[in-house]
Amino acid sequence: MTINIETVDVTNALNDIDQFCDIPNARISGEIFYRSDIYEQELEKVFARCWLFVAHESQFKKAGDYIATTMGEDDVIVVRQKDGSHRAFINACPHRGNKVCFSESGNARGFICNYHGWSFDIAGNLIGQHESGVYEDSNFDASQWGLREVPLIDSYKGLIFANFDAQAPSLKEYLGPMTWYFDALFDNQEGGTEFVGGCIRSTMDCNWKIAAENFVGDILHAGWTHDSAARAMLGGAVSKVSDFDESYSVNWNGHGYEFALDTVGNVAVLGESALNKYLHTIKPSVAERLGDFRSNMIGSVSSATIFPNFSFLPGQNTIRVWQPRGPNKIELYTWVLVNKSAPEDIKEKWRKGAMMTFSPTGVFEMDDGENWEYCTKTARGKVTSKQHLYVGLGPDTLLKDTDLPANVYAGQLNEANSRAFYQYWSDLLKAPNWKAVPDRNVGRTEAGESAAQCVNKEMG
Amino acid sequence: MKQIFLCKAGDLPSETVRKVENAEYGDIAVYNLGGQFYATADLCTHATASLAAGDIEDDLIVCPVHWGTFHIPTGEARGFPCEVGIKTYPIKEENGDLYALIEAPEQQAELIAKG
Repeated sequence: MTINIETVDVTNALNDIDQFCDIPNARISGEIFYRSDIYEQELEKVFARCWLFVAHESQFKKAGDYIATTMGEDDVIVVRQKDGSHRAFINACPHRGNKVCFSESGNARGFICNYHGWSFDIAGNLIGQHESGVYEDSNFDASQWGLREVPLIDSYKGLIFANFDAQAPSLKEYLGPMTWYFDALFDNQEGGTEFVGGCIRSTMDCNWKIAAENFVGDILHAGWTHDSAARAMLGGAVSKVSDFDESYSVNWNGHGYEFALDTVGNVAVLGESALNKYLHTIKPSVAERLGDFRSNMIGSVSSATIFPNFSFLPGQNTIRVWQPRGPNKIELYTWVLVNKSAPEDIKEKWRKGAMMTFSPTGVFEMDDGENWEYCTKTARGKVTSKQHLYVGLGPDTLLKDTDLPANVYAGQLNEANSRAFYQYWSDLLKAPNWKAVPDRNVGRTEAGESAAQCVNKEMG
Repeated sequence: MKQIFLCKAGDLPSETVRKVENAEYGDIAVYNLGGQFYATADLCTHATASLAAGDIEDDLIVCPVHWGTFHIPTGEARGFPCEVGIKTYPIKEENGDLYALIEAPEQQAELIAKG
């Protein structure tokens, strides 16, 4: 089947970007969380151009297995093919645009539109219609009217990403050296990872960037925001992050990861000692596989975002996508990730732990939701929305002589990742195409000798 | 009565269907259901589709296009959107060869008139 998707024409950049996103001066304005014209620009210049997470490989077992999700506000279906590959299609019939798949996941022979009976096979080909004779009489060319395919799809360690922009850089180039850190969660054991249980869906009345930025580099909020939740789950306060001897904020192309090296600070808040024990048990084999440095990250106080809207917490093992639903609303898609090789009771404890902490009724989620909603809602005030917001912590923390890959900053109590996130966002809003996006990366493209020692053989 | 060669019985595994092209009487679908052979018209009565490209579920053939169903032994339409049944043909097995027995068109017309 030929690629039959029309690309989105990029409209001119807004002329006041530097006013609402002034990173050299470490300032943003609340209007970025509320203005609908900014949101429209995001849909075309961020969500229609960036690599977006669509599914995990463990969600597919056989041909015809599918996941329905969204890329930005575009409904898509990801379908496993007979050859084991995955393809993504717009979940809309090419005749009158009706949705062709209404369930979230399952196995299907194909997809039949409810409106006029257009029928598509799992490869997206249009294979028939109700009253097929009238199409034959109209010299209808069915080969031109298959489901519209998302041009790019690729995966990294089980995570499947898709991209509407055929001119985009490869997923490998897009993620860059950040994958070295991602492996601490996604490749710390033989056999890789899987999702356990289903997708938890919920909504918040906040802008998607507030949530994405919280995970890209904001551990600062935890000790204050989550104090009561931590007391409920742990019987004590959140670890005092400034007491850690060594911690980092790293970023690349707007993605970011902030972390300490305390191994189990994140997992501890699930209140299940068996999970702490599991991580301590696997730690020596992680050290053998990934090196000592990353074996300290498997459940440490940490968080990460892959630009624009895919985030995760190692330790809590919560994975989420902040699906934009207008400038001041998100739909959260949340899953729990575990090592495939973990014992079943450990997987189950992680699933329950996520329900207790990071789900619509989770004690941590509610803490965050309240804050994020009001960060958004205050910007409803016209005057308030124009006021500057401070993102200046950690101005001179870039580490120039480190063997760690990507742009590396000392300390996780640091807004370097938030600045990098908003800078990349602003660069995309200005750029008419991918070639015009400036490369602001200054760090190593791969781990140097001291960081890479003891890495597994696959990585060479 | 016309005898049309379909295939060798040994070439059609159990629970499978294959299409035999026939310009004169229309393509024929031949089925093996647990060692019992059946033949029906291959063209779906609802919309243009080859039933042989569909899945067998018990004794039903599921049309690959709109997933309507027909009862393989009798040709009855069983599931939406199929309303009109498909023709069935008696099978003759001779020296391991399968044949469909098709009545000549005039005989068919006669049957319909009597019908």
